Amino acid sequence: MKIVNLTLRIAIGASLAASGVVHAYLYIHGYRDIPTVGSAFLLQGSVFCALAVLILAGGPGWLQLVAAIGAMGSLVAFALSRTVGLFGFAETGWQPSPYAAITVVAEVLTLLLVGTTALRQRPRASKDDVDVRRRSSSVEMPR
Amino acid sequence: MSAENDPPGMTRRQLMRHGAWFGAAVVLTVAGGEVISHVAGSAGAAQQSTRPALRFAQISDSHIGFNGPANPNVTDTFNHAIGQINSLGYTPDFVIHTGDLTHLATPGQFDQVKQMLTGLNTPRVFTVPGEHDSTDDAGQKYRQAFGAGTRGDGWYSFDIAGVHLIGLVNTLNMQKLGHLGADQLEFIEKDVAGLSSDTPIVVFSHIPLFAMYPDWGWGTDDATQALSYLKRFSSVTCLNGHVHQVFSKTEGNVTFYSGTTTAYPLPAPGQGPAPKPVTLPAGKLREALGVREVSYTKGQQALALKDQKLA
Amino acid sequence: MKVIFLLAATGILFTTACSSHASNATPTSPSISFQSGMTPGMSGSAMPGMSGMQSPPASASATAADPPAPQGGTAVAIADFKFSPATLTVPVGTTVTWTNQDEEPHTIAAKDGSFHSPGMDTHGTYSFTFTNPGSYDYICSIHPFMTGTVVVTK
Repeated sequence: MKIVNLTLRIAIGASLAASGVVHAYLYIHGYRDIPTVGSAFLLQGSVFCALAVLILAGGPGWLQLVAAIGAMGSLVAFALSRTVGLFGFAETGWQPSPYAAITVVAEVLTLLLVGTTALRQRPRASKDDVDVRRRSSSVEMPR
Repeated sequence: MSAENDPPGMTRRQLMRHGAWFGAAVVLTVAGGEVISHVAGSAGAAQQSTRPALRFAQISDSHIGFNGPANPNVTDTFNHAIGQINSLGYTPDFVIHTGDLTHLATPGQFDQVKQMLTGLNTPRVFTVPGEHDSTDDAGQKYRQAFGAGTRGDGWYSFDIAGVHLIGLVNTLNMQKLGHLGADQLEFIEKDVAGLSSDTPIVVFSHIPLFAMYPDWGWGTDDATQALSYLKRFSSVTCLNGHVHQVFSKTEGNVTFYSGTTTAYPLPAPGQGPAPKPVTLPAGKLREALGVREVSYTKGQQALALKDQKLA
Repeated sequence: MKVIFLLAATGILFTTACSSHASNATPTSPSISFQSGMTPGMSGSAMPGMSGMQSPPASASATAADPPAPQGGTAVAIADFKFSPATLTVPVGTTVTWTNQDEEPHTIAAKDGSFHSPGMDTHGTYSFTFTNPGSYDYICSIHPFMTGTVVVTK
C-alpha cells in the first residue's frame, strides 16, 4: 500500500513539475511579453513547481486538491485560448508544439492521479485522526 | 495536546502542521517565481544580443496567369522563389505575400496560387490583395480564397514576438491612387490604440503607402491619415509590392520598403510611358525577380531586411 | 528528515532550472497570437525536410485569340496604359467597343457606375451601348490613373 501511495505521490509530483516547467520555459521564451496571460504563466509555473516539491515531500491532502484545481484551471484557460480567446490572447491548434501537448497531457494526468489518490483514501480517516482515536479510545467491543 | 474524542475541527498541532505546509508552499512559490523571472531576464538579455526574435519572408506580385514575353512562365519563377524561401537555412516564422497573387483573378488562378503557397515551409502564410486580384468583383473571389478570419474587405492584424503586424487592403475603391477607406482607417486607429509606443509596428499593403510615383498610381490617397495613427511609435516599417522593384524611403519614424516581384519587372518611375511589363534580354530576367528576408532583433529599433535575387 | 528532503528537492529543482538555461540551445520559435475573432492567413507546411519545389502545374489561361471585328461600333484602343482617343464623341444609341492592346489586363469602369467591364486580357474587348446622352468619365479600375471620356450627343 505504501508503495502505491508513494508511486502516486511521485507521479503527481512529476506531472505537476512537467506542467510547471513547461509554463516557466514558455514564459522565459516569449510569453512574458503577452499582457495578463504572460504573468499567469509565471504564476502557474511557480505554483505548480512548488506544489510538486511539497507533494513529493508528503504534504497534506489539501495540497493535492489545490493541484487538481490548478490543473483544471490550466486546461480551461488553454481551451479558452484556442476558442474565444483569453484576455485578448488567442492561438491556433497545438502551437507552440510540442509544449502545448505536453502540458495538456501533464495536467490531465494530474487530475487523474489526484482523483485516484482521493478515491483510494476515502474510507480511511487522516493519519492524525487515527492517531488521536487510538490514543483516546477505549477497547471497542465487536458487535 | 490530544483531544479526548474525535475532534470536529482540528487540534492546535494539526493547525500548525497545515500552516507550516501552507507557509512552505507560499515561500516556494515566491522563490520559484523569483528564479524564473531572473532566468527570463538574463536569458532574454543574452538572446537579445544574438538571435533575432522574429524572422519572416516577403514574396510578392506572382501574377499567376500572366503570359507574355516579359516572362513566359510565371509559375516556374514563383516556384523557384518558394524554393528559395524554403532553402533559407531556417524556417521563417511566417511568410507574407504582398498582393497581385493572380493576374486575372480567375477561380483557377486563385486555386493554383493557394496550392503553391501551401508548399512554403513556414507555419503561416499571410496575404493582401493586389488590384489584379479584385478585377471584376471588388475582391470577392480573393476573399473566398484568402479572406478567412479577416475583417472588412480583407484587413487584419496579429502579434508575434512582441511585434504588431497589420495587413491592409488599398486596392479597392481606387480613384487614381490606392485607397484605404474610412472603415479601414477606423480599424487601424482602434487596433493600435492599446499598444505601448515601443512596440515595433509592421504594416503591409500592396500599393505603397507613400507617394512613390503618383502619375502611375504608385501611392495611397489616404495613407497620411493612417500613418498619423502610428506617429507615436518608435519603429514603423511598411512593406509593399505593386511596383515590381526594390525601393525604400524613410519619412520620420516610418521606413517604407517596396519589394520586388517573382513575375516580371516594371520600369523605374518615369522611365517610360507607363508601368508596363519590361522584357529584359535573355537570361537577365532572374536578376530582376526576388524575395526578401526580414528580421527583428530585440533592442534594435529598425528591422533588418535582406533582398535576395532569384538564383 | 522531511525538512531535509524538502530543501534537497527545492535545491535540485532550482539547479536544474538554472543549468538547463545556461546550456540552452534552441529556443522555441515565437508563436503568432491572434485577437479573438481575427485569424487571418493560411497554414504553410512547416515541416522540416518537406520540399518546397513542386512540379509546376500547367500554366493558366493562355492569351485569348483575336475576336472577330465588332460590327458597326465606334472603337477605343487601349495601348501603353492610355485610352485612344481619350475623348470619344458619339450619338445616342452608339455601341462603343474598347480593345486592349496592352500586355496588362485593363477594365472600363464608369465613374458614375453606369458601366463596368469585366477584366479584359490582352486582345480582349468590351462593348457598351450608350442609350442616354451625357458625358461619361471612366477609368481603368486596375490602373485608375488611366482616364477617358465618352461624350454622348442627342
